[in-house]
Amino acid sequence: MKTSAVVADTIGPNPSTIGEEKAAALDTVRRAQAGDVDAFELLYREHSGRIYALCLRLQAGDTSDATELMQDVFIRAWRRLSTFRGDCAFSSWLHRLAVNTMLENARGDRRRIARVLPMEDTSRLEGAARSTSVDLRMDMEDAIATLPKGARQAFVLHDVEGYQHQEIAEQLGVSVGTIKAQLHRARRLLRERLER
Amino acid sequence: MTHEVIRHLLDDYVTGELAEDARPAVAEHIAGCEICRAEVDGLQAVITRAAALPKSIEPPADAWQSIRATIERDKEAVMPDRDRSASVFWRRPSAIAAAIVLAAVLSSAGTALYLGARNDAQQNQNVASSVTNSTATASLAAFTIEENAYLRNVAVLQDMLDQQEASLAPETVAQLKASLRTIDEAILEARNALARDPANKTLIEMLSGSYRQKMDLMRRTAEMTRGS
Repeated sequence: MKTSAVVADTIGPNPSTIGEEKAAALDTVRRAQAGDVDAFELLYREHSGRIYALCLRLQAGDTSDATELMQDVFIRAWRRLSTFRGDCAFSSWLHRLAVNTMLENARGDRRRIARVLPMEDTSRLEGAARSTSVDLRMDMEDAIATLPKGARQAFVLHDVEGYQHQEIAEQLGVSVGTIKAQLHRARRLLRERLER
Repeated sequence: MTHEVIRHLLDDYVTGELAEDARPAVAEHIAGCEICRAEVDGLQAVITRAAALPKSIEPPADAWQSIRATIERDKEAVMPDRDRSASVFWRRPSAIAAAIVLAAVLSSAGTALYLGARNDAQQNQNVASSVTNSTATASLAAFTIEENAYLRNVAVLQDMLDQQEASLAPETVAQLKASLRTIDEAILEARNALARDPANKTLIEMLSGSYRQKMDLMRRTAEMTRGS
């Protein structure tokens, strides 16, 4: 997979410092909301790894598209900072913004793709992906990248990011049944590909 | 429950999202069904591997610079500054419209007036290629991100309009193309000027306004066609 270095998970804070850290994080957000770009850069440094990982997986491992999407997410975040009220964690707000940005960008692409390749014929996409990697042992990231878009979105948001069916359905604007069907499909395709 | 019914419950069974009262029956079936056991093992392997993926991946080191340049420009756009009186002027919709008309009037590229829809697309490609060659300043680099988005949207809208053209009245098509040519001229004029003066924020604002004008016109026409 075409990715940059993986950022190691850091050890979590002691419970006694959690309150202080939350207050400091909120203070950083408030400073950014007041127009402090340096504070916003701190937020970027803290959250860009998670947002980029999400973008990279949603964009099928394309680093260029993922970088552009991530930049778009943070620019939108800056412009909409005033709408963040602190009702949820800033990371959750940013995450939701990332998914919405991806979906908005994808709507334009989907109309164009639909004219080139009928959406019901996704088996051709799968076949193409298969033929290019038939002799390769694919790792999980590569396998996810070959999934059809709907299945990939459902899988990344549910199994990698930990969203609930209902949350994903609301974000993607489809029914819970559709999300479950996409997950079912994604897991079976991944299983097939990883067992090859 | 039959084997087929239970197979459709295996995903929720493995992830722990199956209703409690349904779990015993599914577990009992799995214990006696080799196919379902293999399915459960495979699902668990996939889900375990997914959960083990890194939650954070370091983005390219230079990604922040473009973001910062864009938001610095945003900041300037909302903060009063005596030196930016020209920029403030250009942000007014009426001034943008006037600029577009003025640019078209002053344009010496008369041949562009004869370009059709296909040439519109070519113009967009030309604009895109000129963007590639002119990222000399932070402002321009930041604008390039926005411009790429504009160009993608314009391409999509152009495709839609190409498809819908037959359903529009000829005079509407003619008027639309004439308006688009005027805006394209303004875009080209501003783009060429920006290539000579990449740090000129007024030109960036003007170019951005022209793109928005173009997208708005195309979008409204597409919506009008859908509604007819």
